Amino acid sequence: MSLERKDEHDHEGWMKERDLTPVETVYLTTLMWLDKRLRIVDYLELLEDLYYKINMQMPKSHTEQYNLDNKFWYWYPLYALGSFSTIAYVVAAISGALLGFYYSPATTGDPSAAYNSITFIMTDLRFGFFLRSLHRWSAQVMVAAVFLHMLRVYFTGAYKEPRELNWIIGIVLISLTMVFGYTGYLLPWDQLAFWAGQIGVEMALSVPLAGEWVAQLLFGGFTLSQSTLQRMYILHVFFLPFITTALIAIHVGIVWMQGIAEPH
Amino acid sequence: MSENDTTTDGHETATDGGQEAAADGSGIVAPDDETPTWSERKERTQGLSQLTYEYFERARREDQDLRTESDYVERDVLAFPVWPHEMIRNLALTSFFTGMIIFLSAALPPHIGAPANPSQTPAVILPDWYLYWSFGLLKLGPLNPELSLLGGKKLMADRTYGVVANLVVVGFIAIVPFLNKGAARRPVEQPFWAAVGVFGVIFAATISALSVKNLVPMDSHLLFDLTFLLPFVGGFLTYAVLKSMREGYMFELNRRYYRLRPPK
Ligand code: HEM
Repeated sequence: MSLERKDEHDHEGWMKERDLTPVETVYLTTLMWLDKRLRIVDYLELLEDLYYKINMQMPKSHTEQYNLDNKFWYWYPLYALGSFSTIAYVVAAISGALLGFYYSPATTGDPSAAYNSITFIMTDLRFGFFLRSLHRWSAQVMVAAVFLHMLRVYFTGAYKEPRELNWIIGIVLISLTMVFGYTGYLLPWDQLAFWAGQIGVEMALSVPLAGEWVAQLLFGGFTLSQSTLQRMYILHVFFLPFITTALIAIHVGIVWMQGIAEPH
Repeated sequence: MSENDTTTDGHETATDGGQEAAADGSGIVAPDDETPTWSERKERTQGLSQLTYEYFERARREDQDLRTESDYVERDVLAFPVWPHEMIRNLALTSFFTGMIIFLSAALPPHIGAPANPSQTPAVILPDWYLYWSFGLLKLGPLNPELSLLGGKKLMADRTYGVVANLVVVGFIAIVPFLNKGAARRPVEQPFWAAVGVFGVIFAATISALSVKNLVPMDSHLLFDLTFLLPFVGGFLTYAVLKSMREGYMFELNRRYYRLRPPK
């Protein structure tokens, strides 16, 4: 038996006899190269299977189904609020990543290095003033959108079976959004940030039973210091983004599987 | 298989083909025709995994029955599909609002206060607006019950009381889907829960106002009373309005029903 087998698995010969366009040739070559090494065809099959399992058909409209004389359900525009939260989150993420290039979470110096890096962004950096403004506004708008989204879900009764789990994920998401806001609020290390941090430490300390432990963990001590700022920074740019992004993906994935609740 | 069956009957029930291959190391992967089918696997498994298989089978049969019974054949998910229904509208609306974010951040950029100064407490300490509600709940000290058993002492420090109040509010919102069940979706169908919602929204607004009482041009005792009065007023009004709308509304929905059996 020769090492070069010529049989029905001769893909190159198959490609030659097919008379393919250059685009098709490049595509197939890449696909085969990857498939030989990673067996991606199996995974593509799984994906295709998933695709057909998700019901993608256009439904009969709600009004037809319930015979509601084609009345327009006037709350439908509010159903965009969830998407709007997602978009605001993406805008905040992009502008935040750009801000991160110039920000340094250090309390050293007077005024602190953190404060100085914000003033640098605002006064010296090209488009910096706008960038900070964009980050701030998208964060604020996101919180507002998430809150209104929650009200929409509440008042349309969309949290009922089978969507209880998504409601609870939503509660976690709105809490994460606010913690995002809080940690970000401390980063400029100006007077407002410092004293808001002070309140945070006191709140953490007055948590029943675990107070001191919580304060140590989140604020790095009972008074504000370098480690407070550093922890807020890592929470804001590392932990929260990972957790929130994953949860949003799960949240929206569940909506995709279950479909949007119809008002009955 | 059939060979095995005839020669060693007891042997066949004890192992499943794959195991005897382990002796010489060949055939670690079962040949395709020996890969057990799902029903074979189900028979072999026991305990929890068997229960899982049994449940899956039941669930699949239930789905099947529901689908064959249904006269509603277009789709089998009783909801709007996310694509394309939701996505198209959402993309249109959200791109408009993203424009709004950019416009806002260009028109109203944020400013930065004085640098952090631990030795000088500012006159106004504030978090971002979306945390006012939580900040307000910290100021519920006057409502902290003084227990006569403890000789007029409070069970919790005021601050702990505030932190616990936060947890209670969030916890209550989280369990709403388990308190309010049933198929009703529109507020008019469930006046009580709509009233609870309106109560919550108004309370969020008033408790936020309470948290910045120094800045609200109003007597602080009056503000404190209004904080708890207004939500109830709003809730009762909603309940009254929806309850009286409900009769007519349900009449519309059930017109055909009422036509057959007119109310006396
Ligand atoms: C970061 C925050 C959030 C994001 C990005 C988000 C995103 C979304 C999106 C895109 C949808 C699709 C339907 C729609 O747009 O209305 C949705 C639906 C839903 N959301 Fe959220 N959401 C968030 C927070 C919340 C919160 C705070 C709650 C409630 C406590 C919640 C509960 C739900 C439920 C129950 C649905 C299903 C509604 C239905 O089927 O009609 N979500 N979410």
